[in-house]
Amino acid sequence: MTILAPLLLPPFYVTLAGYIGLATLVALGLVLLTGISGQTSFGQASFVGLAAYATTLLTKLAGQSPIIGLVAGLLVTGAIAWLLGLITARLSGHFLALVSVAWGISFFSLFGTLPLLHGFNGIGDIPPLVPGTGQRVTLGVILAVMTIVMTMSANLLDSRTGRAMRTLNGARLMGASMGIDTVRLSRQVFVLAALYAALAGFLFAHFQGFISPTPFGLGTSIDYLFMVIIGGAESLCGAPLGAALVVLLRDQFNDWIPRLTGRAGDFEALVFAIVVIVLLQRAPDGLMPLLARLWPQHPAAAPSDAEDEVMAPAPAPASAGEALLDVDTVSRNFGGLAAVRDVSLSVCAGEIVALIGPNGAGKTTLFDLISGVLAPSAGTVHLFGAQAAHLSPHRIAALGVARSFQHVRLLARRSVLENVALGAHLSGRAGLWRAMLRLDRAEENALLDHARTQARRLGLGALLDRHAGDLPLGQQRVVEIARALCLRPRLLLLDEPAAGLRLAEKQRLAALLRQLRADGIGVLLVEHDMDFVMGVADRVVVMDFGQKIAEGPPEHVQADPAVMEAYLGTVA
Amino acid sequence: MKTRLLATLAALSVLAASGTAQAQIKLGAILSISGPGAAMGVGYKGAFDLFPTEIAGQKVEYIIRDDATDASTGYTIAQKMISEDHVDAIIGPSLTATDAAVAPLANQAKVPMLAMAPYEYDPQKQPYTFNDAQPLSLMVSAVFKYMQQHGVKDIGFIGFSDGWGDQVLGATRQLAGDGGIKILADERYARTDTTCEAQVLKLISRHPQAIMMGNSATPATLPVIALRHRGYKGGIYGNHGIVSPAFIKVGGAAVEGVIAATSPVVVAEQLPDSNPVKQVAAKFAKDYAARFPGQGVGPFAGYSYDAFLLLNNAIPEALKSASPGTEAFRVALRDALEKTHELVGVSGVYTMSPTNHNGQDARAAVLVEVKDGAWRAIQ
Amino acid sequence: MQDGITTGAIYLLLAIGLLIVFSVTRVIFVPQGDLLAFGTLTAATLQSGQIPGTLWLLDGVSALALLISWHRAPLRTALTWGVYPFVLTMATLLLARFEHPAMSILLALAIVTPMGPLIWRFAFRPVADASVLALLIIAMALHFVLAGVGLVFFGPEEARAPAITESNFELGQLNVSGQSLCVLASCIILVAALRWFFGATIYGKALRATASDRLGARLVGIDAAATGALAFALASFIAALAGVLIGAVTPLSYDAGFDIGLKGFVAAIMGGLASFPLAAAGAVLVGVLESLGSFWASAYRDVIVFTLLIPVLAWLSLRAGSGEERA
Repeated sequence: MTILAPLLLPPFYVTLAGYIGLATLVALGLVLLTGISGQTSFGQASFVGLAAYATTLLTKLAGQSPIIGLVAGLLVTGAIAWLLGLITARLSGHFLALVSVAWGISFFSLFGTLPLLHGFNGIGDIPPLVPGTGQRVTLGVILAVMTIVMTMSANLLDSRTGRAMRTLNGARLMGASMGIDTVRLSRQVFVLAALYAALAGFLFAHFQGFISPTPFGLGTSIDYLFMVIIGGAESLCGAPLGAALVVLLRDQFNDWIPRLTGRAGDFEALVFAIVVIVLLQRAPDGLMPLLARLWPQHPAAAPSDAEDEVMAPAPAPASAGEALLDVDTVSRNFGGLAAVRDVSLSVCAGEIVALIGPNGAGKTTLFDLISGVLAPSAGTVHLFGAQAAHLSPHRIAALGVARSFQHVRLLARRSVLENVALGAHLSGRAGLWRAMLRLDRAEENALLDHARTQARRLGLGALLDRHAGDLPLGQQRVVEIARALCLRPRLLLLDEPAAGLRLAEKQRLAALLRQLRADGIGVLLVEHDMDFVMGVADRVVVMDFGQKIAEGPPEHVQADPAVMEAYLGTVA
Repeated sequence: MKTRLLATLAALSVLAASGTAQAQIKLGAILSISGPGAAMGVGYKGAFDLFPTEIAGQKVEYIIRDDATDASTGYTIAQKMISEDHVDAIIGPSLTATDAAVAPLANQAKVPMLAMAPYEYDPQKQPYTFNDAQPLSLMVSAVFKYMQQHGVKDIGFIGFSDGWGDQVLGATRQLAGDGGIKILADERYARTDTTCEAQVLKLISRHPQAIMMGNSATPATLPVIALRHRGYKGGIYGNHGIVSPAFIKVGGAAVEGVIAATSPVVVAEQLPDSNPVKQVAAKFAKDYAARFPGQGVGPFAGYSYDAFLLLNNAIPEALKSASPGTEAFRVALRDALEKTHELVGVSGVYTMSPTNHNGQDARAAVLVEVKDGAWRAIQ
Repeated sequence: MQDGITTGAIYLLLAIGLLIVFSVTRVIFVPQGDLLAFGTLTAATLQSGQIPGTLWLLDGVSALALLISWHRAPLRTALTWGVYPFVLTMATLLLARFEHPAMSILLALAIVTPMGPLIWRFAFRPVADASVLALLIIAMALHFVLAGVGLVFFGPEEARAPAITESNFELGQLNVSGQSLCVLASCIILVAALRWFFGATIYGKALRATASDRLGARLVGIDAAATGALAFALASFIAALAGVLIGAVTPLSYDAGFDIGLKGFVAAIMGGLASFPLAAAGAVLVGVLESLGSFWASAYRDVIVFTLLIPVLAWLSLRAGSGEERA
């Protein structure tokens, strides 16, 4: 109910509350886009503008009802964002930021130049949302929309798609390896954020009754980013907090600074900017994390039963002996350098193959070739009997190939459970909209159950609620393996799984691998720990300088003179 | 979160309420002091330093706020002035776009506003909106009259790609037909551009007899310098937006011969004694120069001053029937403003009526030319 | 076209400044454009015989730096933030009334250059390890700070910096202004000087080391704070230089720097924020695109320029591949 209280404020504060609500909508989109998915946009204000102009043209100039204006605004903005998304979804870092500046300026100039839009002098007398009512009614609508959007966004973050979105922020390769179509997902998030902005634009036009290009320029886009960063980019509550702070601070500065200095107009923006800088210096992650610390955390969830289940049976789709992976004379060149040259290799169901070799031998490159991160310069890769050399990582994951990484790639600030559940991405189907509307609960529960099962299987039962980044490196590796198993793989690629593990953990890992083998899963592992390799591997492939120099059963390879010279020679 | 926000809002409104001092008459001014319109805002703001703090024996409080050349900001400020500060009248806004945004608010709340930028509206639908700036058509037609006298048949247009450029081009197009003048090309550049060579080359290639400019302040020197640099010999005409000493200072020798229509106040001293505006304008120009040495008075300071003069003229009338701070006072003030008759300002002579809330005539535009490094009235 | 190349050269200068600062400190130095405007306006103010407000700003902020850094390295601090501003202030007070163009330009450079390190000291050094995004937002906010300061000190009117030369040359059909040649020449000299600086001096090498491996540089004892200050000093010197050069060709106002800085930013991005030759190509491309855009349809120039940039940037980004995973 408190959300409706601003409706009782005096007129001016109704306006301010409206602006805060509208800015919150845009900022929520930016939290999803920037804070969660790591894509910085300096162009949100232009989406606000697109929808505002769309509804203005239809309601004011063509006499249509605001509903038509809303639909048109969402359609136009969505379509344009989708087109831009074709470009931006693949971009990262500064490129995206800059492209967004570019379209921000383009749209701003268009708004100001197109004769249809009345140029820089703007369009006034836009009819209110409900005929004959004032800002108070529109404010009610804004607050309702804001609450709904906020709830839907919270739903989204707490879902399969929400987890997947977090991998877009600096962990795209990991996400793709879990079967997430990162390009498609970032485009979806981009369009979603644009639609939030469009909603705000639609409401803005009818709330203020007047529009001109200035509020849709680069300056306002920067203000939206200020709000999100000040509030806290990674939390949804940061959006209303930041929006309220920025709007109220600006208003108060406009009042007090002329009174203090006796000069209007010279210092307001200056002081505001200095306050922004100081705030960011004191709280680079925004204010929300600070506030969250003041509030008591909900009591740590009842410690999930520490009992680790003993080896739940994993699905065993392949019959032993079937060839899962067949790498045939692949090469990969970087510039003139051959990182991998004419290597052939196969892994069968129910077999553990170890890939060893000195640093820089090309093992990780070969891994990347198999998992779709790199395409081979020559040669073929077959997975489960089908050509797979030019598939993208998420398609390879969908075939039933899971991997872990040499350098652990986890969402450090998310719980172990969430990290493991990422691996279960492919066993769900619920997308963005179903998540936002909470139609995904049954599936989500099943998915989390599966993740819990896998985590317990690896002895992580007591750590499910801990942040993954807080665990020691060895346990982080175990989380990665649990995540990979969540994918229900037929082929498992492990890049140095034993590095950093203690002896007991290694033994446990070896036992797990044997269990997987018994289930008919094929395992390819890169490993430096010779004792470990010799203990579990059925077959060992040795690489040096990009080439395969030996292959065979462990004891056989160990005795190979070429290996002794090339490999052990360098080590010893 | 929500309650927190609410508490803040409540606290702020108490603060705002307690902060209002008990002045007798409150006048709010909405000016573009920062942002792209800042160059003109200097003049608008400066004039306020010369206003007396008493009108007809009543104390006057001026609340001056900057809209940062953004209509939405202006809207919020107006909202606050009306519903929190309870102003009796609004001076400004000084930007056309803000005028359009603020007018519905002011009319709904029955607060008289004196727009100080060219702004077109229907006074019968917006009875509380007044405007003391010359309509651009008045300025442009003065220039066209001069062109016709000198046999100019076709022109090229170059202006800002912003609201001001739009307005001048609009008026130019509208009047060109009547005056038998053809517009051969229209080009635009941005106020912050560092060059407009390309636009100028394109203009020259059409060989217009004269150039009409839709720009303002010092960035207006850019096309003039480029045109002269490329050897263009025709006349270059502008509007009151360019008539300032800074224009000549930045433009140097290249801007010699540029002609513009402007408010009489700019060249008050040089006006013939027969000009009705001369006396008032010359005094204001002198006072302004004394307060801001070296700045020179521009047309924009004049609009602020005329807004004051109009209010100064109407307030005593309104005081007869109501006291400040009430709706009755604002209604009476509006009625008095509408009855303004032959009031001599520094930008022209005002005679308002229910259908004319600007009230200026041809006396509000004089032509000036850059001669020997200064603006000179063309007799 | 000639115009496109001259402005392209200015964009290139800014791009170089941005590249230096970014590679050393990860800060995208948005307010560089504002320092450019400071350069122009400071020189113009000096040329009209007045004392620019930026001098007092420098004195004030330096005094603050002196106060808070005193305990750490008294001698160096005193020299940098005490003696230098004092000497500069005296020199300016003495020399301003001569209104000599070269003097105004040199003083303007001397006044604006230390602002870079001061900005680094107060805005960025306290949060040097924050995310690139947070640093970018601070840089954006700084733009508003500097623009605000510019409005207070210089007012909203434009001003023109004194020209180095007023002469014009006839080159065949072309009418080339001497100032344009000065811009190009300065640009070439600066690039050559920077090459030497980065290749042959110990400071240059320290900067390069920090740029290629921040942590490694710290491990071998390179002072991160000092390299940051040096990078900012270079960038603000470049900005001030660009300001006095372009300011003589075209008058600038307090808020004109942002747009120019933005285009330099575009050029820098085209160089992938790493490569100088690519940035040079990008700078000229932006300059030329701009003059062509003005020619085709001046009202839609920004639309054309920035819309054309989108596919170019997208192509560059895809070619560069995603760097995030290796970072």
